[in-house]
Amino acid sequence: MRRHSLFNWIFAILASLVLLFIIAPLAGMLIDTSVGEMRSTAADPAVRRSVWYTLAIAFAATFLFAIGAVPLAWIMARRRFPLKNVVQGIIDLPVVLPHTAAGIALLGFLSRDGLLGGAAQKAGILLVNNGAGIAMAMAFVSLPFLINAARDGFAAVPERTEKAALMLGASPTRIFFTISLPQAWRSVVSGFIMMFARGMSEFGAVVIIAYHPMIAPVLIYDRFNTYGLSAARPASILFILVALFFFVLFRVLATERRELFRKEEDVTD
Amino acid sequence: MLRTEQLCKRLDSFCLREISLEVTRGEYYVLLGRSGAGKTQLLELICGLTHPDKGSIFLEGEDITRKRVQDRGIGLVFQDLALFPHYTVKDNIMYPLKLRNMPLRERIDRVQRAAEEMNITDLLLRRPGNLSGGEKQRVALARTLVTDPKILLLDEPMASVDASLKDSIRRMLRRLNRNGQTIVHVTHDFGEAVSLASRVGVMHNGRIIQDGTPAEVFNHPVNRFVARYAGIKNFFRVTFVKSYNSWSCITDNRTKFRLTKGDYPSSGLMILAAGEVLVTRQGAAGVQINNIHGVIEDIVPSPSGYEITVNGGDRFYADITHREMEALKFVTGEQVIVSFRPESLRLVGNGEEKNEY
Repeated sequence: MRRHSLFNWIFAILASLVLLFIIAPLAGMLIDTSVGEMRSTAADPAVRRSVWYTLAIAFAATFLFAIGAVPLAWIMARRRFPLKNVVQGIIDLPVVLPHTAAGIALLGFLSRDGLLGGAAQKAGILLVNNGAGIAMAMAFVSLPFLINAARDGFAAVPERTEKAALMLGASPTRIFFTISLPQAWRSVVSGFIMMFARGMSEFGAVVIIAYHPMIAPVLIYDRFNTYGLSAARPASILFILVALFFFVLFRVLATERRELFRKEEDVTD
Repeated sequence: MLRTEQLCKRLDSFCLREISLEVTRGEYYVLLGRSGAGKTQLLELICGLTHPDKGSIFLEGEDITRKRVQDRGIGLVFQDLALFPHYTVKDNIMYPLKLRNMPLRERIDRVQRAAEEMNITDLLLRRPGNLSGGEKQRVALARTLVTDPKILLLDEPMASVDASLKDSIRRMLRRLNRNGQTIVHVTHDFGEAVSLASRVGVMHNGRIIQDGTPAEVFNHPVNRFVARYAGIKNFFRVTFVKSYNSWSCITDNRTKFRLTKGDYPSSGLMILAAGEVLVTRQGAAGVQINNIHGVIEDIVPSPSGYEITVNGGDRFYADITHREMEALKFVTGEQVIVSFRPESLRLVGNGEEKNEY
């Protein structure tokens, strides 16, 4: 019993230290920033623009890339094919790449001399120093979060329910939209939130593709370089609060949907 | 109606071999076999979820071997029922009707009719997650039956049902069959096969090893495996002897049995149902009766009373009722006599036991 108690104490202390390590810098930043500084930063049009720009581009990138990422996740969950492990490695690659290296790689692809950049320029679109380029940089580093979460969700869908739908006369497309996706929905939404959150906070890859228009992480870096720590701090806090707000909002919405689903089951029980 | 010809399918570590079966219209065909025998794989071949490496499948005379699952007109109820957990019972049943672009009014009518037939009208707004095994079974059946399948395939339909509900499911399946629904039912349960089948096929190691009416299969099993399925425990490998126009046989343990008149091979496997073995202290009267002296080795309770194991050189299993046990009060180690009529002994197959499992 005594040993058990000692075990609990040691683990509680170690866990608290890790939590403190995360909370302390954020709390310090809050304490060192006055309300007046926060107010003037919140009123700064450049800061406001960068925050909304970040949110909008991160959401657009997540939404657009989900159109391809979700089918890829389904294929990874349901199909067996040669070199599947290699494909999984490719999906996970952005997680292990240094983000600046990812930015350099993307720049080669998106610049005027690059494959996609060249083609886009012929159509009159510039991808570098442009919202589209920023969206691609965000998506590049955050796609694995969506693909892997959705893949796990699809893998957890009982294959028999898909086969049953096939037996009842449904086409594969119909089965995907009426059986597989609704059952994997929670994981897909969870992956969507993670991809959005990760994309929104991306700096390394974005700064190489587009310093301007400035997204919030680049603006914070710019303020720090130009005016120092005290100028960067209020913008950081503001961005953290906004990001947290949206992150929590999405989580709550996803959880509420789940609770609603549960309550319906309880009522009918 | 349904005919398969020499179906072969190799799976990872298993192989379905030369499956030829025929199910006529209105028949209740039960495929009986242990788990891993290949029953479910055979159903999946018939309904088109997998394709055979060799052989053909015909439904109402049409070759459907390569036809799309959706176009075969076959209904399958999976062992785990595979209800859609995110839909209500009503939406589960309506799902196939929506796919057929049926008008809403007709869809609602058909769902209502199916629900009434399956006695699940009060469940229509519930989700499958909080239904009992029996209720889920009825929902799965209703969902399949609204498609008016030419043939209904059932994969272990009693597997998720409490023992107390099995009777009502059996009655429902019998009623469906009486109304003209052709059914192929897969099970490992001998009782289910006997109570439902108009024909039965016994499957083992990817083959159908015997096929016929339940009486044909279980009274004349082709081998020890099928006999075991019929609940027979008394097996004797014997050599047949004819002297003065009467037959007898001698087991490998030198026990001698009198036999009825007939033609016997030189050797074979004899079976004896436990219900036809009498255990007494004084033996049974009659010239032709086989009386074997032995010692009670074991007495274990059984659903109908007790099963007594007697060692008389060979081991004999006998069923006795509670009333007999109360009257005779047998104990282990006691000297007794096991008695049975010669006609109770049956030869497995034609003597040469093929497919010994």
